[in-house]
Amino acid sequence: MSEHTALAPRGTRPERTDGWRPAGRPRPGSPRGRRSPGRVRLVAGAAGLALLVLSALLVPRLGGLDQGLVDYTAIRLPPSPAHPFGTDSVGRDVLLRSFAGLWVSLQVAAACAVLSTVIGTLFGAVSGLLGGWSDRLLMRLVDAVNAVPHLLLGIVIVALYRGSVLAVIASIGLTHWTTVARVVRAEILSLRSRPFVDAAVSGGASRWRVLSRHLLPAVLPQAVLSAVLILPHAVWHETALSFLGLGLPPHLASLGTILGEGRQAVLLGSWWIVVFPSVLLAATTLCVAGIAAWWRDRSLPRRRSEQAL
Amino acid sequence: MSLRADAVTAGWRRGRPVVDRVDLAVPPGSVLGLAGPSGCGKSTLTRVLALLHAPWSGTVSVDGEPVHRFRFAAPAALRRRIGVVFQSPRAATDPRLTLERIVAEPLRAARVPAAETARRVAEVADLVGLTGELRGRRPHEVSDGQLQRACLARALAPRPDYLLCDEMTAMLDASTTAALVSVVSAEVTGRGLGVLAVSHDEQLLDAWAGEVLRPWS
Amino acid sequence: MSAPVLSVRGLDVAFRVGRGARARTVRAVTGADLDLRPGRLTALVGESGCGKSVLTEALTGLLPATAAVRGSATLSTPDGDLELLDAPESDLRDRVRGRLLGLVPQSAATHLTPTRTVGAQLRETLARLGAGIPVAELMERAALPRHVLELYPHELSGGQAQRAGLAAALAGDPPVLLADEPTAGLDRPLVEHVTALLAGLADEGRAVLLITHDLRAARDVADDVAVMYASRLVETGPAAEVFTGPWHPYTAGLLGALPDAGFTPVPGHPPELSALPPGCPFAPRCPERERCSGDPEPVRHGDRTVSCSGPVGS
Repeated sequence: MSEHTALAPRGTRPERTDGWRPAGRPRPGSPRGRRSPGRVRLVAGAAGLALLVLSALLVPRLGGLDQGLVDYTAIRLPPSPAHPFGTDSVGRDVLLRSFAGLWVSLQVAAACAVLSTVIGTLFGAVSGLLGGWSDRLLMRLVDAVNAVPHLLLGIVIVALYRGSVLAVIASIGLTHWTTVARVVRAEILSLRSRPFVDAAVSGGASRWRVLSRHLLPAVLPQAVLSAVLILPHAVWHETALSFLGLGLPPHLASLGTILGEGRQAVLLGSWWIVVFPSVLLAATTLCVAGIAAWWRDRSLPRRRSEQAL
Repeated sequence: MSLRADAVTAGWRRGRPVVDRVDLAVPPGSVLGLAGPSGCGKSTLTRVLALLHAPWSGTVSVDGEPVHRFRFAAPAALRRRIGVVFQSPRAATDPRLTLERIVAEPLRAARVPAAETARRVAEVADLVGLTGELRGRRPHEVSDGQLQRACLARALAPRPDYLLCDEMTAMLDASTTAALVSVVSAEVTGRGLGVLAVSHDEQLLDAWAGEVLRPWS
Repeated sequence: MSAPVLSVRGLDVAFRVGRGARARTVRAVTGADLDLRPGRLTALVGESGCGKSVLTEALTGLLPATAAVRGSATLSTPDGDLELLDAPESDLRDRVRGRLLGLVPQSAATHLTPTRTVGAQLRETLARLGAGIPVAELMERAALPRHVLELYPHELSGGQAQRAGLAAALAGDPPVLLADEPTAGLDRPLVEHVTALLAGLADEGRAVLLITHDLRAARDVADDVAVMYASRLVETGPAAEVFTGPWHPYTAGLLGALPDAGFTPVPGHPPELSALPPGCPFAPRCPERERCSGDPEPVRHGDRTVSCSGPVGS
């Protein structure tokens, strides 16, 4: 196999010397050539997220942030070279605080996403595999949990256990698992009647083996995708709780806490205390969404050219 | 000594049986053909005989012992005595696994030690004509014929006493069909395997099976 | 014999599969010469994975994005000859597909929109092609009962779905019909029914290409046959002559594998299309290997061709 074929992406000049010419026609929905829009999203999202996470880790340390240090001579200073995001009502640098808060928000959100995904996956998988009336019962439970407004349920939980980080994580994790459960159950339902499950059963596999070796690995991509999609929700949910003063304890200030504290300051004209943390929040959400979008597009059925002839 | 169905009635929706009081016996060491048009219930009967689906009435017995529990509730060792090959190899294989892993699955479920599993997989893969290079491939990288060979190997790996072929060759070309049929026939004469060959193709059954049943005509 | 309406010469199709280190170039079609004549049904026979479907994709301009071609495929139209491989997408869309070339796809049910009835889709196709044939006549041509018009694709049986695909392909009254595995998964009686329909269409003056791995179906209805192995057309010619006296060892092997002929498989495996050996691809499995020079170029004897320098029996 030594022939040179001019397999060039569309738009480039093919060599006509040996008669080969490109003949593939990109069809609607399929990526055009090598640079597909999905890849741009992935690169931008991943780079952005990496930058944000690194900053969240390093900036407060490098800037020497001390959350407890108040400086009444520097209250509510507007953005300047010394304080690029300005200072807040007790004189702390908003830039350093925002990144520290971002790190807290990300950690909490990640814990919530993992908790939701684990609960949702197990729930959906068991429900889908059991089928029959157990499945129906479990799905009614899902509907019930869904019917309660997330934030309300969350507020109730944190109100019972004020100041507890675990309560915050639980309040978000216990309310966001329903989507994952539905997605996983749907996937399991479509897979369990396929002959490859029958073949496994015929080979002597137990229910648990079929679930853990064949079905769960197949739904894993969907489950992880759901987890990634929950991240922005979790960030916003926690932000809302903290904004209302019900969230994390003061020494674990997240972006939401900062926004909550900045409420009053905005009315006094210090817009920077609210705007910059919000921009960070939005940027994080966009980056995560970009990665999730790339992943979702990538897990679509294989392109025709990669299928058997 | 046979795999028997006595007055078996089965179906999917209450009140609408697709298998109605069918009697069937698969003797060891021979090929029994089961003919009928698609949608008539052949596949359902096959799944009942493979202990994958519980019948509504009637008995299924393996070598004289009646079976009371089906699917996950049936003893694993009993399920392994009856191998099944389905019509579509693509739907019958997990796309994430290599062919080697697919063939090894019943042995791993039986907790056979790794060395013994590898040896048996190599043995049965050679039997069906699956070369070493193909074993490391995944289903989307091989053709239908090669994948069906892997499915046959998987069914034969635990040394079953009975083999149920549900339209095994319907999607295959003439040469691969002949190849798989000859592998199965060799097992029949060599090991005394009892085979139920289900197909809508009369010519194939006439050439392959000793006796052909037509309960739906 | 009449002049061919579709003439393929030296067609090569290759494309890239996989990414990065696992990228391979797949040669799906090599040096294909084929003629489709009006009033004759040509069967393109070969096992799955030999490249048959890619050939039709090349003719209808539906190759994957990474494909490259070489050679020519000339379609005779009332307005002159059209080179299919170089035709721009607009020409293919407005003049060729549906109007000059009808394609009956594999697994027709999945090619129908699941949320609309068969009747709605056929009427839309007819309107789009501006053909003026009433739906009732189309249904008759495809031997479909009238009530199927009201059904949704998932409510159709396998045979009905296939015939619905056939009806859609006939909507523009094309002079050339390409049927890609129209009988896969169907019962024998239905296979015979569908192939009889296609033969009838050929008798009306169309050029029909039937792509199938089912040798018996091909044998029943084909006027001409082309046998494909590992991207090459190893033998072509009138069906009656080829099936009774095959020249290429692979054709002979395939025929010998039929249940009523000997049930003897051809030993070995076909090669990977991404790793074709130089020379004749069948050589490793060929019983005539000793008497052969290994040159895979097709040799023409009258209206039959064979890609073998040691024809069986000569």
